[in-house]
Amino acid sequence: MSSRGGKQKKGNVTSEQEEEEQPLQAVLVADSFNRRFFPISKDQPRALLPLGNVAMIDYTLEFLTSTGVQETFVFCCWMSNKIKDHLLKSKWCRPTSPNVVHIITSDLYRSLGDVLRDVDAKNLVRNDFILVYGDVVSNIDVSQALQEHRHRRKVDKNISVMTMVFKESSPGHKSRCEEDDVIVAMDSKSKRVLHYQKTQGLKKLQFPMNIFQHGSDEFEIRHDLLDCHISICSPQVAELFTDNFDYQTRNDFVRGILVNEEILGNQIHLYVTQDGYGARVSNLQMYDSVSSDMVRRWVYPLTPEANFTDQQGQGCTHSRHNVYRGAEVSLGHGSQMEENVLIGRDTSIGANCHISNSVIGNNCTIGDNVVLDRAHMWNNVHISSNVEIHQSVVCDGAVVKEAVHLNKQCVLAYNVVIGPNLSLPDGTVVSMHHPEEEEEDDDDEFLSDDQEVGHSKDKTRQKAFNPAEVGPEGKGYIWKASMNDTEDEELAQCLWGLVLNPDPESDSESEASEESQDRSRSVSPEIDDVNAFQLEVLGTLQRGLEENIVCDNLVLEINSLKYAYNITLKEVMQILTRVVLEYPFQQQGTQLTTLQYTGSLLPLLKTWSPVFKNYIKRAQDHLDCLSAVEELFLEQDTHQTAMVKVLMKMYQLEILEEEAILKWFSTGATNDKSRQLRKNQGLQKFIQWLKEAEDESSEEGE
Amino acid sequence: MELQAVLMAAGGGSRMMDLTYNTRKPLLPVGNKPLIWYPLNLLERVGFEEVIVITTKEVQKMISTDPKMKLDVKMKLDIVCIQEDADMGTADALRHIQQKIKTDILVVSCDLITDAALHEVVDLFRAHNATLSMLMSKAHEFTETVPGQKGKKKTGEQRDFVGVDGTGKRLLFMANEADLDKGLVIRKSIMRKLPRMHIKTGLVDAHLYCLKKSVVDFLADNKSVSSIRGELVPYLVRKQFSKSMTSPNVNDEADQKLKKKDGNANLEIQILSRDEVLLQLTRERSCWNDHRGDMSEAYHGVRLRCYVHIMDEGMCYRVNTLAAYIEANRLAPKLFDEPAVHPSAAISVRCLIGADSIIGASCQISDKASIKRSMIGASTTVREKVKVTNSIIMHGVTIEEGCNIQGSVICSNTVIGRGADIKYCLVGSAQRIEPEGAFWKTPSRLSCAFY
Repeated sequence: MSSRGGKQKKGNVTSEQEEEEQPLQAVLVADSFNRRFFPISKDQPRALLPLGNVAMIDYTLEFLTSTGVQETFVFCCWMSNKIKDHLLKSKWCRPTSPNVVHIITSDLYRSLGDVLRDVDAKNLVRNDFILVYGDVVSNIDVSQALQEHRHRRKVDKNISVMTMVFKESSPGHKSRCEEDDVIVAMDSKSKRVLHYQKTQGLKKLQFPMNIFQHGSDEFEIRHDLLDCHISICSPQVAELFTDNFDYQTRNDFVRGILVNEEILGNQIHLYVTQDGYGARVSNLQMYDSVSSDMVRRWVYPLTPEANFTDQQGQGCTHSRHNVYRGAEVSLGHGSQMEENVLIGRDTSIGANCHISNSVIGNNCTIGDNVVLDRAHMWNNVHISSNVEIHQSVVCDGAVVKEAVHLNKQCVLAYNVVIGPNLSLPDGTVVSMHHPEEEEEDDDDEFLSDDQEVGHSKDKTRQKAFNPAEVGPEGKGYIWKASMNDTEDEELAQCLWGLVLNPDPESDSESEASEESQDRSRSVSPEIDDVNAFQLEVLGTLQRGLEENIVCDNLVLEINSLKYAYNITLKEVMQILTRVVLEYPFQQQGTQLTTLQYTGSLLPLLKTWSPVFKNYIKRAQDHLDCLSAVEELFLEQDTHQTAMVKVLMKMYQLEILEEEAILKWFSTGATNDKSRQLRKNQGLQKFIQWLKEAEDESSEEGE
Repeated sequence: MELQAVLMAAGGGSRMMDLTYNTRKPLLPVGNKPLIWYPLNLLERVGFEEVIVITTKEVQKMISTDPKMKLDVKMKLDIVCIQEDADMGTADALRHIQQKIKTDILVVSCDLITDAALHEVVDLFRAHNATLSMLMSKAHEFTETVPGQKGKKKTGEQRDFVGVDGTGKRLLFMANEADLDKGLVIRKSIMRKLPRMHIKTGLVDAHLYCLKKSVVDFLADNKSVSSIRGELVPYLVRKQFSKSMTSPNVNDEADQKLKKKDGNANLEIQILSRDEVLLQLTRERSCWNDHRGDMSEAYHGVRLRCYVHIMDEGMCYRVNTLAAYIEANRLAPKLFDEPAVHPSAAISVRCLIGADSIIGASCQISDKASIKRSMIGASTTVREKVKVTNSIIMHGVTIEEGCNIQGSVICSNTVIGRGADIKYCLVGSAQRIEPEGAFWKTPSRLSCAFY
């Protein structure tokens, strides 16, 4: 017995050892599968864009290597050749590299899902692996997370399929990207993710109750987490992607797992790091913040002077105020590098320049009296004298001529020439690609019809540059994000991403509305019913118009709604009046002229007069209806002249009686505004006319 | 005087009618002391000299006349009686005594038995100039079998969801599961200010509240609020994040205007804990902040703040169910260091009394009786060869020879005939149990048969 037990134990030990010995693998997705960086990424894949003068993919690979990854699969799709060339030249493909890099390219990948399905099909991973994008910059040591992940899998028999790595950072932190803001509900003890949701555009966060029914009595809702887009996956993840062919992104996967937790029994956990750095460069806003974090040494040991890519001539010196200088940098007389400046090799800077918080690439020339603040200049950029650049990106080979002013969030894509004497407004993107080219490009992506490419390129060449846009000597087109892009409607095609802090005003407004809701709830709980009823009535009338329903049936429907929402007859009438009078605005927008308004309203009144007549019978009903009319026109004060016509029509259609109108006119005025309304000339004439008509009729009667 | 203590002792004990049928809840004996003694003792220990006790006439009469109910407290008790049939809630009761309230108040319920460090709650109240601070505790599992109940109580009860901030002190959210049919909804703006929220279930609200005086004034104006726990506390918690509470410059002038304009707004403004000028100045000049992560002022300018102290260990019971009553009886003796056997009890030398039992005054315990893990009330007679285990025997009970009582509650003045065998039963007061009767735990509440 005992010997058998011993043997078993031994067996366990060896299997453990085997596990340990298996090399840690990683899947690096060197494609974003979106077009956020267009037009920049038209010429260079995102993973190769320089950040602190080093391609972003190098950061990701360095991160993986330093956490102990021994085998990395790099998946490329868009411009895979460039990435391949870059990697083959880099230190990762040297025989001494501790991290073996396999490059897998295919033009068929359309999403992360495709990549992982391919991972499964090719059976590449044998054990837990790390999944990252090629634009992640991080120095987090994930070995702790990995250990926790393995422990969980051992204890719970492979229930946990993924551990997501988060970094703690408060809302509003500049390395947090509004688009990527997530809210996570987790089990405090097991660190299990119960709910995961992007919060962009949400005012209220809703958590389904079933997530709280797992026996635990302590949960945590966290909004202070920054998604590093680093996840530790078990091999099952790839299988799950194969099983669920509709999973496209990691988000789909996470949601799918959480929703189907009961069925599949898979769980996702999270690991929160407090002191590491990890962020994904998902838009230029993030590019800006990650780049400045890099220069400010938050990503230590990945610092500019470390030259971790081990390339010749990349070295630079680090001096006070985080000023880095590459080899052969020349600085003109009187130029200042204030703080957080990184200058690449062979760059020359003229006299009297002010440079702060900027990164300048290799082989750049900068003229005299140039002001650079938060500028990101890549390689071979030429800046002439008297130029000012604020928070902008200038790509390789761009030329900025004399006295050009780049305001915030401008982008000059590859080989663009700007100026002289021009000021680009905020958020201008200039590219050598014509915006209309994109669509054609789109097509040839699928067709890969070389002829057409050449053809389209010829066509774009022919289009002239607009000197008003790029200056007299300029070359380039203003890039406008195409509107017809439907592939990811949630991400507006905005390079810079969303504004980080939405105005606090809207926030408090919502609070105020909440407040009033709160209050009204305590007073009369029907308020919502009334609103709902109004919408229903609107819907009914709309349908009635579209399908030509007889008015009697409309009345029936409204009556049944009245009971469903418990609405009084008086309210029915007021709401009905309101809905009808607002109908033109509803259909054609609020900026109608008075003439258009009456033009479309009067036929409607005629169509629906039987409905009105059904509800307006007693004298009080008339008054109620009139007060509803008044109320509406008090709100729409630009259209007050239309009121007379409406009243006239209603009178003619015998919806309203003259006595009621006269009575309303004489007694109804309760406040200044309604008194003002009654002074309307047209209205006075109408009343006068009514009075005379009445006199006549009464005379006739006598 | 910083705080006035208010003891709520008018509740009828509707969740344990079997016990409170004859004895009002505040007077139920726990460890041979009336229940109301425990909160009074709690207050006395921390140095209160005066307590306003809100109770019913009946209870007042009993306290003043019945020697068994005598409360040996040195504090001055200001007893306010309310009518029993008026169906007043706790907030109604506070409104009733508004005239007496001069300062901030500490409200305690009469059914609270705890060894909590009260200063923790009050310190939160002081440190944050809070409008409300309250005490909660981790819920305890009741281990004892409850008479008349079959099996373990199902956990079908609806849980309370309590949301606290990262430090576990600030109360951000409070709702019952029953009200959350649409899921738990939190405004993003709150999460933005306080990005880390712990949602806890399985907490017991001790019904101990520190409240600002302005809250009592608010109650006086707002007659629709009738219960502290049910309405007032959720209202205050919610109000922390509404806009009118955060706008910093509501001066008195605007205040006046609002009062005239809108009755509702008036009520809200009044409830503001208006920070004194000096205090405000201190906060402006100090680098102290209650949160990290953003640059906004302390508390984000919120002036109505609710805090909660959650006890991690220690004991905290609310004696409002039979199970809690039994559990409290088992543990209460640990709260005071009086001899387990009252000196005036006449106890035979040849009987067996466990160390975890309590014998009340003037008891008679005869030979060969065995009492384990039980409480015997005052003036109770226990005859020969009686075995009492895990039971609660109230005052004036007579247990004849050879009885076997296990896991039961015997209410006062009952006579149990010779040789009766009672297991897991609840026997009402002034009953006569026939000799040789055998009563075992039955599915329904057997106790009802004895009334």
